[in-house]
Amino acid sequence: VRLLVGAVLAASLLGLPAFADAPSQQEIEESLTCQCGCGLTVHSCNHLQCPSGEPMKAEIRRRLEAGETKETILAAFAATYGEKVLSAPTMRGFNWLAWITPFAAVLLAGGVLVVVVRRRVGQNAGGAPEPPAAEGPDAELRARLRRELDAMDREP
Amino acid sequence: MAEIGRLAVCLALMCAAFSVLASIGGALRRRADLVRSGEHAAYATWALVVVAVVLLLRALLARDFAIEYVAAYSSSTLPTNYTVAALWGGQKGSLLFWTFMLTTFTTVVGIQNRERNRELMPWVTATLMVVATFFLALVTFITDPFERLPVAATEGSDLNPLLQNYWMMIHPPSLYTGFVSASVPFAFAIAALATGRLGDQWIRTTRRWALFSWFFLTLGNLFGAMWAYEVLGWGGYWAWDPVENAAFMPWLVSTAYLHSVMIQEKKDMLRVWNMVLVLLTFSLTIFGTFLTRSGVISSVHSFTQSGLGPFFIGFLLAVLLVSGGLIVWRLPELRTKGTIESFLSREAAFLFNNLILVGIAFAVFWGTVFPVISEWVRGVKITVGPPFFNRVNAPLGIALLFLMGVGPVIAWRRATPKNLRRAFVGPVASGLVAALLLVVAGVPFGGAWLTFALGIFVLGTIWQEFWRGMRARQAMLHESAPRALTRVVGKNRRRYGGYVVHVGIVAMFIGIAASSAFQIEVRETLEPGQEMTAGRYRLRYERIDSSEDGHVSRLAAVVSVFVGDRQIATLHPEKRFYKKPRQPTTEVSKRTTLREDLYLVLGSFDPETRIVTLLAYVNPLVVWIWIGGLILTLGTAIAVWPGALEQRVVAADPRAAGAAERV
Repeated sequence: VRLLVGAVLAASLLGLPAFADAPSQQEIEESLTCQCGCGLTVHSCNHLQCPSGEPMKAEIRRRLEAGETKETILAAFAATYGEKVLSAPTMRGFNWLAWITPFAAVLLAGGVLVVVVRRRVGQNAGGAPEPPAAEGPDAELRARLRRELDAMDREP
Repeated sequence: MAEIGRLAVCLALMCAAFSVLASIGGALRRRADLVRSGEHAAYATWALVVVAVVLLLRALLARDFAIEYVAAYSSSTLPTNYTVAALWGGQKGSLLFWTFMLTTFTTVVGIQNRERNRELMPWVTATLMVVATFFLALVTFITDPFERLPVAATEGSDLNPLLQNYWMMIHPPSLYTGFVSASVPFAFAIAALATGRLGDQWIRTTRRWALFSWFFLTLGNLFGAMWAYEVLGWGGYWAWDPVENAAFMPWLVSTAYLHSVMIQEKKDMLRVWNMVLVLLTFSLTIFGTFLTRSGVISSVHSFTQSGLGPFFIGFLLAVLLVSGGLIVWRLPELRTKGTIESFLSREAAFLFNNLILVGIAFAVFWGTVFPVISEWVRGVKITVGPPFFNRVNAPLGIALLFLMGVGPVIAWRRATPKNLRRAFVGPVASGLVAALLLVVAGVPFGGAWLTFALGIFVLGTIWQEFWRGMRARQAMLHESAPRALTRVVGKNRRRYGGYVVHVGIVAMFIGIAASSAFQIEVRETLEPGQEMTAGRYRLRYERIDSSEDGHVSRLAAVVSVFVGDRQIATLHPEKRFYKKPRQPTTEVSKRTTLREDLYLVLGSFDPETRIVTLLAYVNPLVVWIWIGGLILTLGTAIAVWPGALEQRVVAADPRAAGAAERV
């Protein structure tokens, strides 16, 4: 369990952007949704001379050259087009729910799973008897399978 | 002919409804004649739907533009293969096609179970025919594919140019097969709940159907990604579009089921959970159809939006209520005494695998519906696009990859330190060495680096399993290595087929990580004879070639590709201008190697100056995603192929097949 949680946390950290880097044109284009109706990000829209994507790319370039930060540029686009222009929810207010809920759900379900498993492990340690083996031809087949698997798993 | 088609659909609806009533009546009154009658009505439904499909296909091929559907989705110049594909290219046709597949599967299930599962079959037939009745009612009353125009059109509007691609012939049928066949395990689960026969009989019977559905869902998703890669021309293959998500969610839940069902078979645990997963998979196929049809969430893939949303959401709610109610009703009988003995066990690893798979499915669902929730709560439209899904799913995906290495080799019940050392020392060491070598090779720390290292760890566990199995046989039976390997796989196809599937999934993980993290993208405007550089490639724009036929005109840039001074290829990225409807499309030209794809897109073209804008992408290891699909196909084939023991048992006594299947 610790390994699993560690893997998730490490991967989350590795997935975080480098805070010190200056924003790139591509990074900002990927943070904005093209308004031509293609449903793709500004970066991905490749409509021939797209009436929405091309002016947006030019504006991003101009603002970057003027030294604006990513946050300022995204805020400017959101003010012009509305929040829907951002390709991901902001990490503010109600939108936090979008980001937190999946991880919260997984952690909560994982917590419940750990508690349930731990309880069952405890019950078992308390001497819960092994269920009786099934009988009949099915049991014979299982026994044969077990023998063959054991034989295969044995070190040469 | 249109009238005959409509009549066939109406009669099919009546047969399906009768089949439901007869099957349930027969089950409740224990009347075998009624049950048989219900099954025969299901066969008749299938035959009538086949008649309708054939007639619609005939109308399309005969260019009968008096029929609204034919006029809307084909034209006199549309090539024959796309005219056939127009059968599922529009809403009305695709619903009929869906019904065709559902009734076909119902017929196959009926024939397979003429002498088996007789207690379950009335409820299986009834459930499948309830679904068929729903679709047939839509086709009959709301989306009549045989509807005539008041005045026959002289020419059709044509199929959407984005759909005029060979993937249109392959991707939708694959995805539909996966979606629709998920109804079969669902129907058996409902039958098990209705009859109280909650053992693993229904699971054994539907094991191959579940794998079949999962396999085609995998192919459907993969083919969709290949289509997007080749047609949309943005250098990627997955945009986390709502319709893509709709196909991905049932795949995730179905994958979880294929793992957790092993615990039920082995330890008689998780009966409730397996029921929930089967019901959820089916519900998500209906939810996916709702997303595609309703237009409630805007999507680049919604070629067939309409006002069908409320019907689908109503049906979905009914499915959830009835199946959820049945589970609650049977809860006391579904509880089992099976227990987990340790966190360090295969049971626990599979449980966490389920947690992550269903967690990813939930994250995808949540991101897909969050714009609607935001609009309800705040009245503000927002977009939830790739940055959200990538950020949320990447860590969960990496955790899943880690578990893929742990689950198959950790001991059942309780792993001792000795078991753990024996199972993991080699694979962990190979993963660590790979991680170190990647750093030395200059791969930066990050998600891709971690994915590669974990991928090697997983491959190490799989290699070890094959190696040990083979060596054990060699030692005991003195067989040659190839013979021992073949025998060890043949003796336990399900287990080793699963390992091969995992190899395919690892290949996909590596392809996705590399192409996402290390993609090179260059955009240049060039005159004829000018060059640009993309990664290690030098690209020289030579000229524009143009061609035209009655259906489409084409502009293709001729681009010479050099590595150093050596010319290695000539690529022809195109713009196509379809005449009906007047719409341009991008035709990507690419050079694929095991190392990377060079992917060229013609961005724009000035006919006077002949200046073009070229987009060049270098996508590392992307082909391994598709190779992963091939490996996965091989693994699935190994897993579903009946073993020699099972074949002997089936030949001797078909009713005993279940026991052999369990082995």
